[in-house]
Amino acid sequence: MLPLLTNKRWLKVTAFKPHNNRAWLGVLPVFLIVGFSAVIPLMTVVNYSVQDILDFNSRFFVGFQWYRDTLNDARFVDAFIRQIGFSATVLAVEIPLGIAVAKGISKTSRMTPIVLVLLALPLLIPWNVVGTIWLMFARPDIGLLGVLINAAGFSYNYTADPLHAWLTLVAMDVWHWTSLVALLSFAGLTSIPAPYYQAAELDGARAWQVFRYVELPRLRGVLVIAVLLRLMDSFMIYTEPFVLTGGGPGNSTTFLTQYLATMAVGQFDLGPAAAFSVLYFLFILLFCWLFYTMVMRNDER
Amino acid sequence: MAKIALDKVSFTYPSADKATLANLSLQIAQGESHALLGASGAGKTTLLNVLSGLLQPSSGQIFFDDIEVSQLSGRQRQVAQVFQFPVLYESLNVADNLAFPLRVQKLTKSKVNARVDYICGELGLDAVRQAKPKSLSLFEKQLVAVGKALVRPDVSLVLLDEPLTAVEPKIKWRLRQTLRKVQAEFGVTMIYVTHDQTEALTFADRVSVLTADGIVQTDTPQAVYQSPAHEFVGHFVGSPGMNFVPADVLSIPGAQRVGFRSEWASLVTRAPLMGVIKRQRVQGTRKGKVYGLVTVQTAFGPIYVRGDLADGGADAALGTAVGVQVDRYVAFANQQKVAESDRL
Repeated sequence: MLPLLTNKRWLKVTAFKPHNNRAWLGVLPVFLIVGFSAVIPLMTVVNYSVQDILDFNSRFFVGFQWYRDTLNDARFVDAFIRQIGFSATVLAVEIPLGIAVAKGISKTSRMTPIVLVLLALPLLIPWNVVGTIWLMFARPDIGLLGVLINAAGFSYNYTADPLHAWLTLVAMDVWHWTSLVALLSFAGLTSIPAPYYQAAELDGARAWQVFRYVELPRLRGVLVIAVLLRLMDSFMIYTEPFVLTGGGPGNSTTFLTQYLATMAVGQFDLGPAAAFSVLYFLFILLFCWLFYTMVMRNDER
Repeated sequence: MAKIALDKVSFTYPSADKATLANLSLQIAQGESHALLGASGAGKTTLLNVLSGLLQPSSGQIFFDDIEVSQLSGRQRQVAQVFQFPVLYESLNVADNLAFPLRVQKLTKSKVNARVDYICGELGLDAVRQAKPKSLSLFEKQLVAVGKALVRPDVSLVLLDEPLTAVEPKIKWRLRQTLRKVQAEFGVTMIYVTHDQTEALTFADRVSVLTADGIVQTDTPQAVYQSPAHEFVGHFVGSPGMNFVPADVLSIPGAQRVGFRSEWASLVTRAPLMGVIKRQRVQGTRKGKVYGLVTVQTAFGPIYVRGDLADGGADAALGTAVGVQVDRYVAFANQQKVAESDRL
């Protein structure tokens, strides 16, 4: 919505066009589909979030009570901070690493298609299988990774040490999703026409300048998509930590989704869980919007 | 700025069994603007890449100012190149784009600024100095690319790879004019690669015509047009290309074929070369008379004759038998020029 309104060219063009409101009829089916698939379920949640539901017959309107409670809930705030920390960490690792991997793939080799398929493999594994793989892989008693780290002289046990649990979760997410960034970046890199490299070479540009002034500007589009995808996905991560650590040790890896699941499914607190869900949704929307406008404003300058 | 010499340069692609360039020799004077004209597949791009140092010749030598540079990279040869479409650093504004090759060389700030100011002034880029390439027109972008090629004071050779392909026809002449002016003022050695003979003839001091067999002629645009050294040149240069008929039709001894341009012939009632008027195309008027291009169908294929058209409209003369009087010709044997008539 926002880029459309701030784009002055768009306004200028429409100023010359005659208005024909019948066009809205053509968009109506889309509104209906979106209404049934998104708006109505979302409204149900909004409806729940302002009521205290005791049973089928007795419910009370409580206004913003659940929202206030949620925002004042120390466990919510903790989970929220953990969630931001997790998203920031995986983005900080996956984006540069993905670009580095993409730069390392030869564009012309006969092995390239094979490398790309191998890279895509982690993306094809179901989430809870990924969790299970790492659950076993990282076990300090029988897992290959856990045993190796301990054999190397570092005491490592992700089930007992919060820091180890965190590192294992981050490693798992990086293993699972760096390929996505790498594949997107590789697609971006291959779309750069050869003359750009030739020109930079003749200008005497050094390798880092070629990356900074030729490749990075042309990767911008795919990187915006990669960051948005990973930001949303990592902010909503549920299955993998649930399988791997179950939120522990203690609450040290309890993220928002897990806390929400405990509330909604475990304790059946539908009202607070609904308020929680709406807030959660709004925060994701806010972060994506902030990131997108930041990028777009930079672009205009 | 350097004089360029190619000595028996050959290039064969690793997977190919036939050389793309075979024994090319060429001398280009310092400050000359030279056009490489050739059809697609003639090896223009390969030759360009050999000159820019992207490819290294399989054999033969390249000299810049008598120094052999065959094995040096384009950067070491101090070559600059303008590509078919504008290649700029998209995240940098015009001034930073122009300054880029200078800053890489670690020139002082004042020297960089002076040079960028100079180029902006010469190319009329002052108004867009702070603009990003995205907001410029194609013409302006290509102009900045030209400026970037000229900005280094030590540039030895500027290569232009069909730089007007992407530019719309209306402003093609403007960019060519600017290029011509800048080339003359800066005295830069320029090699302009193109398949468009008009561009080559109007831009360059000298033109080399390249075919798959090598360079068939290197000469001034006028000589290339008037006295082609090879049948291909006569055929390729000019619009329409040269007419060719067997030499014995015009009773010219010692040659196999005779070529003449459409404006070197006129229509008469009887001549050794007879045909039927097939088509007349009006091209304008001169001193009140309509002139244009007449296509005469002869036993040797269509012959084009430029001149005054018959009265009574373009269709009136269709089907009339006419003779083609050749006033001036170039004679060829084995595709090579053997003789040439003076203007009669």
